[in-house]
Amino acid sequence: MKYVQFVNVQLKKIIENKKNLVLYGQNINAASCLSGLTKGLGSINQGFTINTPNSENTLVGVGFGLMLNNISSIFFMKQMDFLLLGIDHLVNTYNVIRQNEPKASFTIFPINVDSGYEGPQSALNNFNDFCSIAGVEGYSFTNKKDTQKIISDYLVKPGFRIMSPSQRLLQNETIDLNVLYNDNEFKFFHYMKGDDVSIICFNYSLPYGIILHDMFQEKDINASLFSINTYSSFDYKYLINDLRSTNNLIIIDDTKSANKLSDKFLNEMYKCCNLDKVIILDRRNEQNRFYPRHDKLEIDYFSVLNELIN
Amino acid sequence: MKKKKEIIEQIIWLRLSQIFVNERYKNGDFKIPIHLAMGHESLAVAVDRSMKNDDSLILSHRNIHYNLARMDTLKEEMDEYYLKDTGIANGHLGSMNMSNPKRNIVYSSSILGNNLPVATGFALGNKLNKKDEVVFVVTGDGAIEEGSLWESLLFMKSNNLNTVIIVENNQWSLGTKIEERRCDIYLDKIADSLGIDYTSLQGNNPFEYIEIVSSCRAKSVENNCPVILEVHLTTLGYWYMETEEYPDGKFINYHAGPAPSVEINDYPLISTSNEDPLFVLKEYLTEKELNDISSKLLKKLESELV
Repeated sequence: MKYVQFVNVQLKKIIENKKNLVLYGQNINAASCLSGLTKGLGSINQGFTINTPNSENTLVGVGFGLMLNNISSIFFMKQMDFLLLGIDHLVNTYNVIRQNEPKASFTIFPINVDSGYEGPQSALNNFNDFCSIAGVEGYSFTNKKDTQKIISDYLVKPGFRIMSPSQRLLQNETIDLNVLYNDNEFKFFHYMKGDDVSIICFNYSLPYGIILHDMFQEKDINASLFSINTYSSFDYKYLINDLRSTNNLIIIDDTKSANKLSDKFLNEMYKCCNLDKVIILDRRNEQNRFYPRHDKLEIDYFSVLNELIN
Repeated sequence: MKKKKEIIEQIIWLRLSQIFVNERYKNGDFKIPIHLAMGHESLAVAVDRSMKNDDSLILSHRNIHYNLARMDTLKEEMDEYYLKDTGIANGHLGSMNMSNPKRNIVYSSSILGNNLPVATGFALGNKLNKKDEVVFVVTGDGAIEEGSLWESLLFMKSNNLNTVIIVENNQWSLGTKIEERRCDIYLDKIADSLGIDYTSLQGNNPFEYIEIVSSCRAKSVENNCPVILEVHLTTLGYWYMETEEYPDGKFINYHAGPAPSVEINDYPLISTSNEDPLFVLKEYLTEKELNDISSKLLKKLESELV
């Protein structure tokens, strides 16, 4: 099953059981329904489903207005860069609303445009920055297990959050891995256990981590594999224990943000672990970011292998 | 007749309460910025009197007049300005975001144009709950320069939302008049382009204001639609800014902070024209009656704030 279809099914499971829910956004109930992401949601929703005008600033404010009136809503958005127009509400409006315990839920569900070639204005793979400036929880997900758990727990939970799938992954087959462990708040997932190296994937990097893990396995190198699904700090105790057994760390982070959780994480690991090798795979040396280009993180997997074993 | 007297007293009480706040402000009592609204009293009373039980009011940074009009006391509002836990919002909101859900003021925003989308969402919630109540949202001639006005009107009209958008047009935004910052905005034509009803008001007659605000509300409920009410008014108070270009001082209308030209000894009138809602009351009261009511209310306020 394509990942977009899988996400759509998970959304339906929650939405069909929720009363008085407002689903809204541009094209969510028309034409391709955001390339299939929101297909059929309107017919099962018991509340309002609204194809809106192109008014993102107001649309973010509408969700908070509904929240004040104790009505839950989900604002689907085709591209995360549209959310730039609503930052006033993410910050200023929510700062007022969060002073009281909210009874309603408001979820903004933008697609993170990391497929590439959109051009300088639209390829905004910067989920971290929205979470940071608004001081809100954000959840990314990449595969069957984390998608199921995060959507079922958070989609209509009272309070506000942003959750976002990756455009690049939505068009691929659904990744299915066994979960060895996850924390109660689904901020991180542990997929593979190994004693030689810990691979920690941030943002939407898990597919790169899987390639690396499998390549290491062929060379009898056993890697632990984690995905971090949040953009705010959390209790690193479990990851520290893993790192203390491997003493080797590979961080993969495909965000374009300069405000990376992976940097903060690494800082903490340096304080509490004696690490033999640290390899960082991110975009800090990337060129030509502002031209239409592919958005994949360029990784020379053989160089990573050589660096680890030499 | 009794109701008329109550309305007159409410307008005078609003003025005196603000003069009290201004005196303490001049004294350096407050750390937070406060935007006084002397000159806006007739409109605030009209909105208060036109609201039905479950109607909601959504305000902007200049909200003192509406918050006071929805309360019978100055003390809780004053305490909020002092950021005390006995304030309307336990000292958590201060002035520019002051709201009071118990009195149906559900949200106030310090950001220009920010409250219009929130009002839109709140009204959509009313529709989902099958309520016929109206959301009143107050904005100004500065905030309508923001794109959120257009976006919100479009959404309100497209989704048949019961809303009354009140535009307080005092001509000024911070220290600049409209002609110093932009071309004219013809709100009537903007409204017409979207098929939205538009009404304009001026003159500060409270009884006319109540009638018109109530009729805007009725139109909104009857047709399930937004209605725009533009109110031309003057925010009383001013100062002169000396510049190279204006060595004798350039007239700047009151925006925020203490109003230095307004003295408690001058009460209750600030201006002797119909730009002052209390001057308009002279149609209904003699000078002596106006002064007698003011003295009575002044004493009441003094005892409340002891």
